[in-house]
Amino acid sequence: MKRIVFHRLFGVLCLTIMLGMGVMSGVAYAQQSGAVPGNTTGSVNDSEFWRSIRQGGQGLVSIPNKTAGIMIQSEGEEWRSLRNGPLSTYGGYLLALSLGAIVVFFLVRGRIKITGGRTGRAVPRFSQPERWIHWFVASLFILLGLSGLLLMFGRYVIQPIIGKSAWSAVASASLQGHNLLGPMFVVALLIMLGVYMKDNIWQKGDLTWALKGGFLSKGHPPSWKYNLGEKSWYWLLFFAGLAISTSGLLLDFPWLVERVQQLQLAHLVHAGAAVVLIAASLGHIYLGTIGVEGALDGMTYGYVDEKWAEEHHGWWAEEAMKTRGDVIEGAGETMPPEKAPAE
Amino acid sequence: MTFLEIVEGPLWTLASSVFLIGAAWRIFGIIRLGRKKDISIPRASALLGAIKGQFLHFVPHGGFSFRTRYHLIAGYMFHLGLFGLLIYAAPHVLFLKENVVGFEWVALPRWGFILTAEIAFTGLILLWIRRISDPVMIQLSDADDHIGSWLTFLTMLTGCMALQESHDSLRAVHMLFVDIWLIYMPFSRLMHSVTFMFSRGYTGAFFGRRGVVP
Ligand code: HEM
Repeated sequence: MKRIVFHRLFGVLCLTIMLGMGVMSGVAYAQQSGAVPGNTTGSVNDSEFWRSIRQGGQGLVSIPNKTAGIMIQSEGEEWRSLRNGPLSTYGGYLLALSLGAIVVFFLVRGRIKITGGRTGRAVPRFSQPERWIHWFVASLFILLGLSGLLLMFGRYVIQPIIGKSAWSAVASASLQGHNLLGPMFVVALLIMLGVYMKDNIWQKGDLTWALKGGFLSKGHPPSWKYNLGEKSWYWLLFFAGLAISTSGLLLDFPWLVERVQQLQLAHLVHAGAAVVLIAASLGHIYLGTIGVEGALDGMTYGYVDEKWAEEHHGWWAEEAMKTRGDVIEGAGETMPPEKAPAE
Repeated sequence: MTFLEIVEGPLWTLASSVFLIGAAWRIFGIIRLGRKKDISIPRASALLGAIKGQFLHFVPHGGFSFRTRYHLIAGYMFHLGLFGLLIYAAPHVLFLKENVVGFEWVALPRWGFILTAEIAFTGLILLWIRRISDPVMIQLSDADDHIGSWLTFLTMLTGCMALQESHDSLRAVHMLFVDIWLIYMPFSRLMHSVTFMFSRGYTGAFFGRRGVVP
């Protein structure tokens, strides 16, 4: 109650101040050491008045946008310190940790090769639409990730090197690129999540794969089309990706929200989820390229070597070879000679 | 002379000259090749076939599989998007008025500009992805295809990076890519933007004379 009365009184005062600056200057002579003159109701003195503005007090305005009555949005300070403090610091640590883990994994485990080399017989793994949507999302993810990282860490890493004015151009470029490509990613991500969902649903045996050591095991524990590691990547992409998309759309179209605080929250969710996803994507990209010999074939040619399938996704390979045996013939005709099936 | 003045001044003049002279040279080369005397008995008009050919190839016919559909949609998204941007983006209208034609026309509103750019980007990325993930396209694509795609992509990307229109340096980088793109064009398959009419005309005339729809 006291609060409402205060707000009302403060509002009246604010309006008076805004509309009648001239009059106010006229009566200023009556003030003594900052006190409001005469019988005026409201703040007792100037410092109280300014403190209230500083703390985010809302005055009255005659335009439709009532939030314009807030001169200083003081929660913004909290958001700013979270963004420049823990978010950037721990985000940076997380990325460094992910990179470090990949290096250690590589040093300990090396490139996981196909035991005994390729057989030359191929098993179909990803259809054309599956491959296309994967690479479309991946391309946008890389562009958005790079521009996003620039926006998040550039002022600490790049600005000291190139100076404020050049950095301002780089930041503007990153932001514009990021804003433009963002909505395309949202649409593509939704399609991708739909296309890949079926085989990423939990299956009996997933835990066995993990308990037998997962990626760390040298014995290649069997798994379905995707092992638990890949399924975790999918579901992380699902939840973090949707959080990034929703918050990103709000940031791209700020008129969808009513209060700027909602945008600040959206920004924290967006940047936080993105950093987690980028850190995880480094592991995914490593395993998809250098980490596991033969994995990339599936995403480029659509076929994987039979031996790769048996070693990495034993249960799936059994089924795939039973049901799609006819497609295996001639699969390698489209592969380069070194990957093509033996005659 | 600032970097922006160079890329919008002498380098722009050089690039557009290379493009124009190169395009003329390529067309001259095609015409000079001539064609073998056609000794078949004309069953219908070759000229009509050549004209029909121009339009018939805007729509696919036969083998309407998923691949064709993908290529068709991505191709149209990219090309229509790119032309929309080239001709109707407000900064382009201004540039063309000041540097090429001397008059202006109605430009896209900003939201239309952004949407068109998104359509063009989607098309271009889809077309390039096809090159890296279709077993046949992997084999067919050579360095020129990839350089052409990437140059176009970077030209568009630097353009969208300059969208805030607040830094001359960003505009200069975009313009630099425009210049490089124009210079590269006559020496590459990007020249199909000019030569496609000739190839369609040739095929159209050949089959048209035989009374066949090309
Ligand atoms: C250059 C970067 C990338 C490379 C080289 C790459 C490579 C691969 C490969 C080889 C596979 C197939 C794995 C298998 O056969 O089991 C795959 C699957 C997949 N990738 Fe990527 N990828 C990249 C980026 C991304 C990005 C950025 C995303 C998401 C934003 C992504 C999402 C997925 C998903 C969802 C799958 C399906 C498997 C699963 O559900 O875990 N990839 N990727």
